[in-house]
Amino acid sequence: MIETENLKKTYKQGSLKVKAVDNVNLEISDGEFTAIVGPSGSGKTTLLNCIGGLDDPTSGNVIIDDEVISSYSSGQMIKFRLNNIGFVFQSYNLIPVLTAKENIEMVMLMQGYNKQDMDQRSSDLLSEVGMSNMSKRRPAELSGGQQQRVAVARALASKPKFILADEPTANLDSKSTAKLLDIMSKLNKQENITFVFSTHDQRVIDRARRVVTLEDGKIIKDIKK
Amino acid sequence: MILKIAWRNIWRNNKRTLISTLSISGALILVILMRSMQLGFYDSIINTVVQSYSGYIQVHANGYWEKQSVNNSMEVDDRLIDEINSITGVDNISKRLQTFSLVSKGEKSKGTIITGIEVEKEQLISDWDNKIIEGSTSFDSTDGIILSKGIAEYFDVKMGDTLVLFGQGYQGMMAAGKYVANGIIDLKNPKLNEMTIFMDIKSAQEYISSENIATHLIVNKKEYYDEKKIAEDIKKAISNDYEVMTWKEILPELDQMITADNVGGLIMAFILYVIVCFGMFGTVLMMTEERMYEFGVLLSIGMNRIKLYLIILLETIILSSIGVIIGVAITRPISNYFNKNPINMESFGEGLGDAMGEFGFDPVVPFSINWDIPISHALFIFAISILISIYPAIKILSLNPVKAMKE
Repeated sequence: MIETENLKKTYKQGSLKVKAVDNVNLEISDGEFTAIVGPSGSGKTTLLNCIGGLDDPTSGNVIIDDEVISSYSSGQMIKFRLNNIGFVFQSYNLIPVLTAKENIEMVMLMQGYNKQDMDQRSSDLLSEVGMSNMSKRRPAELSGGQQQRVAVARALASKPKFILADEPTANLDSKSTAKLLDIMSKLNKQENITFVFSTHDQRVIDRARRVVTLEDGKIIKDIKK
Repeated sequence: MILKIAWRNIWRNNKRTLISTLSISGALILVILMRSMQLGFYDSIINTVVQSYSGYIQVHANGYWEKQSVNNSMEVDDRLIDEINSITGVDNISKRLQTFSLVSKGEKSKGTIITGIEVEKEQLISDWDNKIIEGSTSFDSTDGIILSKGIAEYFDVKMGDTLVLFGQGYQGMMAAGKYVANGIIDLKNPKLNEMTIFMDIKSAQEYISSENIATHLIVNKKEYYDEKKIAEDIKKAISNDYEVMTWKEILPELDQMITADNVGGLIMAFILYVIVCFGMFGTVLMMTEERMYEFGVLLSIGMNRIKLYLIILLETIILSSIGVIIGVAITRPISNYFNKNPINMESFGEGLGDAMGEFGFDPVVPFSINWDIPISHALFIFAISILISIYPAIKILSLNPVKAMKE
């Protein structure tokens, strides 16, 4: 379970203090398919970054499975992220010099998988996201949708407890979006992987089973479908 | 995988990689060739002057070096030779008896150094046979002498010609005699060529009227042994009646000249390395700054900072390795060629050879093919690359993944 406790994140912009996340209390149970929505600047990405340990909260706690991860050191946090969290970014963020398969294997390599297991799991994941025939292509040789599917497979490679996806469909056409959402929805249902999206894409919101709306860093609506 | 990432990252920008490696190899080529030429030249000087004349280590009777006279000579017995021979690193020992005399032929006369030698042992020390350019390599009779090239030219000597030697003998005796030219030797050193006459040590002893004495013991060392250490060991092993000197003490001007010239070469190499350093730093700076976003991603997905730094370090080392391999591959055959076919400085301008001769050097510059030169400079380049990678290390250690991805 993911919990945030009075979570606050304040940025300085010149002499101004901007409250990106303002006293957010949120609980996301295992297996949820949650969309965090809101206008630009509402604090969606900052909240996601705080949950994923990419950003330190100004105050409050992030608790994952009863562990207060917001108190972790940088090294502990990197290790925690590697083994527990999968990230999917808006710009795919694959390593350009590695092939699709190698991008997935890299995460497993950091976890210490042996070559055989790594090979098997990366092939399975590519097949799961429908990219088996493009395993040897580098990111530049793939479309945006294909890159995002590889990014999902990479996020799954470490067998994470949950996946945080920051605007994953923002750069995709409707066909690619539908395909990506189908894959993520299937993984959520079949393997009970928790997905948390930040998005303002209506197509994602429509498929989410819980929609949390942020405005000026505060939760103003939390609807479970 | 880290190696794979590093290798592929290098080839992301082929042109930049090519320029960087060429700048490294270019500088390395210049440095290696310059140092090969310098060190080859020093080796050549040491070979000609030290091996043909002074030897690496000399043993004399106390006071000889201060006043170089046969009156300060020493008796050399087997025990002394055995004591020196027992020192680690000693290769050969040869006795010499040296005195100053006047030599004349016909109307001409000239001051010379008469050197009595043990010709078989001299061969082991100074490659004697190969330096003989005319006549016999040994003394045909007790009155046989071998003249250095300059003296032979000065007196226009033909084999079998007679020359008269006249000088001071042992303890005030007069030294005089008629000697027959048996051979001509090229000592590869213009100054030595102008003033040296060799005869058998027994003939020299007879010439100065004293048996079984020598002025010098020339001690040659085995390769890679330090003459200073050997000299110290000899000092400890033999009695205090003898002085032991290395060639650097015997010929301090030569040592100082080599040291001063060597420093000049090192300064030049340093300047080239500064240029290489900036070139490499520019590349590493670009390679780091343009990939901050990617580093942010890698940190986000769980790559630890040390592995991230390792990638950059490997990229820098691979980049310098390519430069080093190209540099060494190009310089090796060039150094080999000029080692076998030394550069003759006379071909660079009239008088240059004579000018070098004035300083006592043969105007021929062979390149050194000692592997220490490319290896030491390659290691220096690697050290520079590790030093340069401190910058990305600092960047990576302080990198905030969110900020990096925003930038």
